[in-house]
Amino acid sequence: MSEQSLDVAPEEQRGLERFYFHEARLLDNRQYRQWLALLSQDIRYLMPARVNVQVNNRERGQEDMISVERELEGADSMGCPHREENYIVLALRAERAYKINSWSEHPPARTRRIVGNIELLARNGEKRSVLSNFLLYYTRPGNENVIYSGQRRDTLLSQPDGFSLERREVVLDYANIELPTLGLLF
Amino acid sequence: MRVSELVNEDASLISRRCWSDAGVYALEKRGIFGKSWLFLGHDSQIRVPGDFVQAYMCETPIILSRGQDGGIYANINSCTHRGLPVCRADHGNTKRFVCPYHNWAYSVEGTLLTIPQESEVCHKPDKSQLGLKRVPRVEVWRGMIFGSFDENIIPLSDYLGDMRFYLDAFFDRFPAGIEFMGAPQRWVINANWKLPVENQLGDVNHGAFLHSAIIPREAQDVIEKLGYSVVTTPGHGATFRLMPADAPVDDVAWGMEGMGGIFGGDEIQNYLREIQAQAAERVGDLRARMKGLTYGIYPNLSFLWSNTSFKVSHPRGPGKVEYWSWAVVPSDAPDHIKQVLRTNYSSFFGPAGILEQEDAEVWSQQFLGSNIDFADDRPYFYGLGLGEEKTHPDLPGLVSVTANEFYARHFFTRWRDDLRAVEGAL
Repeated sequence: MSEQSLDVAPEEQRGLERFYFHEARLLDNRQYRQWLALLSQDIRYLMPARVNVQVNNRERGQEDMISVERELEGADSMGCPHREENYIVLALRAERAYKINSWSEHPPARTRRIVGNIELLARNGEKRSVLSNFLLYYTRPGNENVIYSGQRRDTLLSQPDGFSLERREVVLDYANIELPTLGLLF
Repeated sequence: MRVSELVNEDASLISRRCWSDAGVYALEKRGIFGKSWLFLGHDSQIRVPGDFVQAYMCETPIILSRGQDGGIYANINSCTHRGLPVCRADHGNTKRFVCPYHNWAYSVEGTLLTIPQESEVCHKPDKSQLGLKRVPRVEVWRGMIFGSFDENIIPLSDYLGDMRFYLDAFFDRFPAGIEFMGAPQRWVINANWKLPVENQLGDVNHGAFLHSAIIPREAQDVIEKLGYSVVTTPGHGATFRLMPADAPVDDVAWGMEGMGGIFGGDEIQNYLREIQAQAAERVGDLRARMKGLTYGIYPNLSFLWSNTSFKVSHPRGPGKVEYWSWAVVPSDAPDHIKQVLRTNYSSFFGPAGILEQEDAEVWSQQFLGSNIDFADDRPYFYGLGLGEEKTHPDLPGLVSVTANEFYARHFFTRWRDDLRAVEGAL
C-alpha cells in the first residue's frame, strides 16, 4: 500500500468527505439506524487482530521486515480476527443501543471522532477504494477515558444519491487491547 | 486480616477484600499460582521443533516451545544476565532467543549457548548453570499443556480428575482433536482475575439478565429445564444442557448456535451434523447429548462450548487482568470451515464480542464495589442453593441446578485452603 492516491478533482474529494463527515456525525450523535442506512445489505465489516510478529531474518534491511500487513491476522488468515460481521450483526449492535437492558450502553458512551487522511486509491466501475484514519475519544462512567486510533480501508459503492459502504476493514493500532470494547461502530 | 476472615466456613459469605486487597493478592501468587497446574498452551500451537508461543504463569512471562528433540519446554522469559525478556514475538519459529542488552543467546530449549563477552575474561562462567529458568513441571493432557512451579504437585491427569469426563465430551467428539487459531486475543480489563473465572465456572444464570438485550428468555428457559451444574473437584466445574434423547440433531450438535453455524449455510451445518452423527460412537450416548455451556479448571482456565474458546485470566495485580482467549476449531476441518467456525467465538466473546463487552463492564464495576470503604461488614452473598447439590448416578461429581452457586462456594473453599497453607510464610 505505497501507491499515491488518485489525483482526484476537488468535487470528488469533497463528495467523499461529505460522506465520511456525515457518517462520523451520525455515529457521535448515536443515530445508529441512520448509520445502518449508509450500509450495503451485503456489507462485510472486518477487524483484523494485530500481533507482535517475529522478525524474519531474511527480510533484514527491507521495508517488508516491519510492514503493518505482517502484523494483521485478517479474514484470509488462519488466525482469529476480532470482527468478521455482516449486516445482521451490525444491525444487532446498532439496535442494542436503544434497549434499556443493554447494560454496557447505559448511560451511553460519549464519543467524538475525527476522520481524516481520506484518500481515494482506486475506482472500479461503481466501486471506490478509500482509506481514512480516525481518532475516537471515548468516555463512559466507570471507565477510564480512552482514545481509539486506527485506519479504515473501505469499499464504497457510488450511487446517484451518494455512497454506500460495501466493505470496511478497521485496522486498530493495538496488540494488547487496553480498551473497554472493540464492539463500537468505527 | 486473616484468611479465615475472608471466607466463612461454608463459603456462603465472601469478603470484598478477596477481590481488592494487595496482601491477599500476594498470598494468591504464592499459595495458588505457585502451587497449581497452570495452562500454558496447546500442542497445535507448537507443532514442529523451534516453534514457540508466549504464555504467562500469573505475572511471570513464559516461553512455551517445541525443542529440537520434539519435547515441550517451558522457560521463564527473562535473561539470566540482566533479566530482560529474550523473546518478544507472540509466536514464531526460531533456533535462538537472544537478549537485546548484551546478546546472550539461548537455545529454543532454554540452554545458554553463547556469552559474547566471555572471550575477554579469564574465568569463564559455567553456562550449564545459567540457562533460562525452567518451569519444573510440564505435562500434557489431550494436547493441553500445563506447567507448575511446584515440583511436588500431583500428576496433571489426577489434578484434572473427573473433569476429564466432561472435557472429553468435547475433545473426543473430533477425530483429529482440536486446534487453537492464531495468537490469543489479549484484553486488559480493570477487574480482579477471579471474576472472569467465576463467570465461566458456572455462572450461566447471569446470561438472561445481564445479556437480556441479546439472549432471549427462551434460552434461559432451556437452561432451567435441561441445565446441570457440576463440581468434580472444588475449583473445577462445568455447566451444560443434557438434551433429550429424541432431540433433533440441529438442537444438539456442537456449533449450531453460534453466528458461524447460523450464517454458515448448508456446508457448515452439514459439517456440524456430521460430527454430531458420530458423537454417540465417540463419546457414548450420554455425552453425545451434552450441549456444554461453561467449563472451568482451577485456578484460571475457562472453556466455552458453544462459543468455542479457551480463556486464561492472567492477574496483573488485584484490580487488573490480562484476559487471553483463543478460538478453537476441529483440527481436521478444511481451512474455509475453520474460518467460519471461529466466528462462533469472536462474534459473542473476546474484546469485540457482543456479549463479553457487557461482562467486562460488570467485572470492572464489581472491582469498584470491592474496593470501597465502610462496607466490609457486608460481605458478598454466595448462599444461593446452599447444600442442595447431590451426587448423580451418571454424572461424576456433585450435581445441581445452574442457579445453585455451589461452584463458586467450592472454588472459594479451595482458594481459602490454598491461602491458609501459605498464610504464615510471607
